[in-house]
Amino acid sequence: MELRRPSDLAELDGGVFVHGGTEVVPLLNDGLLSAETLVDVRGVVPRGVHDGVIGAGTTLGELEVEPGIPDALREACRLAASPQLRNMGSLGGNLLQATRCWYWRLGYNCRLHGGDRCHAREGEHREHAIFANDFCASAHPSDVAAALIALGARLRTNRRELAVEELYRLPDEADRRTTTLENGELILEVELREVEASAYLKSMDRKAWSFPQVGVAVAKVGGETRIALAGVAPIPWRIDGIEALDAATPLPRTEWKLPVARAFVRRALAQLG
Amino acid sequence: MSELRLTVNGEEHVLDVAVGTSLASVLRDRLGLTGTKIACAEGHCGACTVQVDGVPRLSCITLAHTVDGEVTTIEGLRDHKLIDAFVRTDAVQCGFCTPGQVVSAAALVAANPDPTRDEIKHAMAGNICRCGTYPKIEEAILTWQD
Amino acid sequence: MARLIRTEKEVEGRFEEVWIVVEEDPLEQWPEGPREVVGKPATRKSGPERVRGEARYTTDIRLAGMLQAAILRSPYAHARVKSIDLAPALALPGVRAAIGPGEAHGLSDEIGYSGAAVAAVAADTFRQAQAAIDAIAIEWEELEVVLDPDEAVRREQFTADPRRYERGDVEKALAQADVVVEATFRTQSVLHNSMETHQAICEWVGDTLNVYISTQFIWGVRDAVAETLEMPADKVRVVCEFMGGGFGSKNGPDEYTFVAAELAKRTGRPVRAALTRREESTAAGNRNATIQRLRAAARSDGTIVAFDGEFTNAVGWTGWNASTEGPMKMLYDCENVRTVTYGAKINTPPMKAFRAPGFVEGTFGLECLVDALAAKLDMDPLELRRRNYAATNEGTPISSKELEECYRRAEPHWERRHEVHSRSDAVWKRGVGMASQIWYGGGGPPSYAWVRIGSDGRATVITAMQDIGTGTRTAMAQIAAEELRLPLDRVDVVLGDSARGPYASISAGSSTVPSMGPAVRAAAADAREQIEDIAEQRGLPRDAPVHEVVDLLEDAQILGKGARGPNPTGMSVLTFGVHVVEVAVDVETGEVVVERVAAIHDVGRIINPLGASSQVEGGIIQGIGHTLSEDRLLDPETGRVLTSTLDSYRMPTIADVPEIVCEFVDKPDTHLTNLGAKGLGEPPIVPISAAIANAIRDATGAEIHELPISREEMLRALEAAKRKEKRGAPAAV
Repeated sequence: MELRRPSDLAELDGGVFVHGGTEVVPLLNDGLLSAETLVDVRGVVPRGVHDGVIGAGTTLGELEVEPGIPDALREACRLAASPQLRNMGSLGGNLLQATRCWYWRLGYNCRLHGGDRCHAREGEHREHAIFANDFCASAHPSDVAAALIALGARLRTNRRELAVEELYRLPDEADRRTTTLENGELILEVELREVEASAYLKSMDRKAWSFPQVGVAVAKVGGETRIALAGVAPIPWRIDGIEALDAATPLPRTEWKLPVARAFVRRALAQLG
Repeated sequence: MSELRLTVNGEEHVLDVAVGTSLASVLRDRLGLTGTKIACAEGHCGACTVQVDGVPRLSCITLAHTVDGEVTTIEGLRDHKLIDAFVRTDAVQCGFCTPGQVVSAAALVAANPDPTRDEIKHAMAGNICRCGTYPKIEEAILTWQD
Repeated sequence: MARLIRTEKEVEGRFEEVWIVVEEDPLEQWPEGPREVVGKPATRKSGPERVRGEARYTTDIRLAGMLQAAILRSPYAHARVKSIDLAPALALPGVRAAIGPGEAHGLSDEIGYSGAAVAAVAADTFRQAQAAIDAIAIEWEELEVVLDPDEAVRREQFTADPRRYERGDVEKALAQADVVVEATFRTQSVLHNSMETHQAICEWVGDTLNVYISTQFIWGVRDAVAETLEMPADKVRVVCEFMGGGFGSKNGPDEYTFVAAELAKRTGRPVRAALTRREESTAAGNRNATIQRLRAAARSDGTIVAFDGEFTNAVGWTGWNASTEGPMKMLYDCENVRTVTYGAKINTPPMKAFRAPGFVEGTFGLECLVDALAAKLDMDPLELRRRNYAATNEGTPISSKELEECYRRAEPHWERRHEVHSRSDAVWKRGVGMASQIWYGGGGPPSYAWVRIGSDGRATVITAMQDIGTGTRTAMAQIAAEELRLPLDRVDVVLGDSARGPYASISAGSSTVPSMGPAVRAAAADAREQIEDIAEQRGLPRDAPVHEVVDLLEDAQILGKGARGPNPTGMSVLTFGVHVVEVAVDVETGEVVVERVAAIHDVGRIINPLGASSQVEGGIIQGIGHTLSEDRLLDPETGRVLTSTLDSYRMPTIADVPEIVCEFVDKPDTHLTNLGAKGLGEPPIVPISAAIANAIRDATGAEIHELPISREEMLRALEAAKRKEKRGAPAAV
């Protein structure tokens, strides 16, 4: 394996991008990802917060104490992962993390890995999705993604600008990917809008160092109230209002997530005032 | 193999190491710094915690060649007041996770010499202790300056 | 004088009759209460080494020329190896040897669980060994998989014959009782997850095998390795100076040790075999799941007249049928008790002892059932427990029992419930629950120690025991210091090497202090008597300070030896305690927060109150994990462990720890040894889950039937309680 450490975007030329390494390194070790060339992108991805623009290389640890960002994002960072992982993991990398579905992580030939079945649907799925879980029942683990979607944030990559929501796609028979990022595309910055108020609430099975069982981000942006959930669908899941939870399609052992989601959406909206 | 320049506990090293090797492996197997423990080898437990420029990181999932800053391991913290505090409060049982706990705690008290209980719980939640020494660790950090 | 006796030996609640030679134990116990050193808080002897990262664990040992082993494990839960070809592995770079089924103890071609060991490779690096494992060509024949313990019981597929017990007439008592409660409880499988994984380094030096191993029982490893390899026991040397946690899972050598020994033999080089975290979560043992179908009956005055229990231990492919029924038989004075305990043999990873095996699970069921009974009788749960206090153990006298004193000390904590209730609101309901603890912990012979004193007036305790992280070195040093009237900093303890000290007890079953402590005291007393004789000859008072007596000895040394005497005959040696727990439950989301735990334990004399409080806290925290968040999940189709990583298997973090108040009765057991001290490793994990579940019932009225109390289980119980209330409520007017 070769490691490149470019200092200019123009030098990018293929390879697997790595920033904090919290996701890429374990996946490489597990053989779920393979790379001839690793590209350490820390030299080309901006870091820090300036006028509502966050460098995608800013770590979650830096953001959890950053006063200049909306509450929902700061709280999502504060409640994410473990302190060391927050010190290492970048904002951009966090948006691109893969599911914690144990079947996927243990390398079962599931639909996300290109196979023809979702092992979780018939097997152990108590931490899995309650929306869009027909093809693949995995749950998206990013607290930060839900927060950014609720905040109406946009991304700038080395190729385009897009809403954070547009980064994600549901996997299907033809295409198993959960993001729309192209080969060689790199997230550079996150642009925030003016936010009137926001909040993030998270259900965990221990008080720290847990992925969201249900994460609820809410924000008032330009007079609109936006809600996005983590841990409930294969991608971060936006809903229009609390009644949208009635349309959930939980699996037998994920029904419990519904009352949790209801309570948290209600409480988060109440926090907005 | 590829050249690796690493500053650990103030000492510079130039080594030849395969790309993809973890910082933890380099510390333990090449530099003999076995105070840094590996308990899960996948970034989940905190036993391998070291500081890079004062910030706690997981050395088991840090690629050695991507380390830019100065590495501080438990061997570099042996004169820290926290050592006595951990011993005095009995914040050590089997001791396997303890070096990692001290490395995390040292970063916490460097940034915040008088942390509250809640701040300790927040900053130390990434260091798993199966023996359950947590109440004593909290006590050690609360009283480290005594 | 040495005496040959036949005695009952207990480890982890399992009894066997053994012949042993014991030595008289003529020493009087010290009076109750803190002494000069014993009974006072002491920091750990090896604390600085451990905290500074200097302590050398098995994982830190680097022998010259050492190779790394990797083990091929079955992906199938039940299968037969039809053919295996090691040649592709041997052809890879760095590979030095490969072995297959039958070539080392524990490598098999008949596989009963996913993760069982089949073959192994030694290579220059672990990565090379892993790559070689992947290259082994293997053809499998898959066999039928049974994962459901009830199905195994139906098929009479057992690991041992079912264990049946009855006293009195349960049917009659049930028929005549005023009140009967009935419930089914389920507990999950949980993992020890010691921070240092199971591992050994084996090295042949001539015809001697050196085994460096992370173990709870140096002598057990020595004997098992010698027996399996058909070697004289003294040709096996076992070393373990520091080890990173065991909790019952490291009592013997296991397949990795035999793999390392065989590969070391074949290569002529030292070989390390260390499990990865994922192997640890699969093949290193677990606390087995249980199903408990229980009934209790009482008269309206609160006299419990019957217990009836059917217990199924989901043992796995191998393992033993732990005493899940034990608490039901032993905790209360009840005339009519009937139990049957099935050990279901299923295609899941084998159980191993895990901190009070059986009693943790059985106490959860029993003590929840007793609170259900209290609710039905409309009686205070503490009062109900007192009313059915057992003065004996099924008729056998108990060497010392201070459970009533524990209850008395629990009262102020129990009284807090009115104030705790008053802090409830519409969302967060608060409550208080309790549960009692009974367990063994008396240790036993044989165990030996030596004490060496030099002319500098320093003492060294030498015994080939192990310190598994419980503070053994410190407790032994305190005992020796007390007996020798030396300050603690003048006593060292040398342990961890079967070639450098006498036989010492296993560190399991809460037995280290009660087994080893008396031997150390006896050895110190032997040395002290010699020093007193010398003092007399020097014209000094017999109790002159040691250094004044020995200062002219130069290189001469005083050597004392001591042995553990027998346990009291005709008596049960048991430990007791009670936990009072305060919880808060979010009734909308099912979140459970343990806010406060008061733990009061009776384990006889306390040697080191500081270390003892750490044991109690550790047991409680591990128990909170068992109760709320830990769950080893299997894929229901393949039987593979799904939660084999520490992000998905969730042990408590520092953020999960409640306020813990810890008290000891600290009254020596006057019948037990020269110390009157019992073990404390296990008692604190025994009552915590029932106390939490009972606090939840107090807070919400919801009846918990399953561990872990996940949000799913909590919401189910709340929903069931709501339905019950609706049914039971009078029709609206």
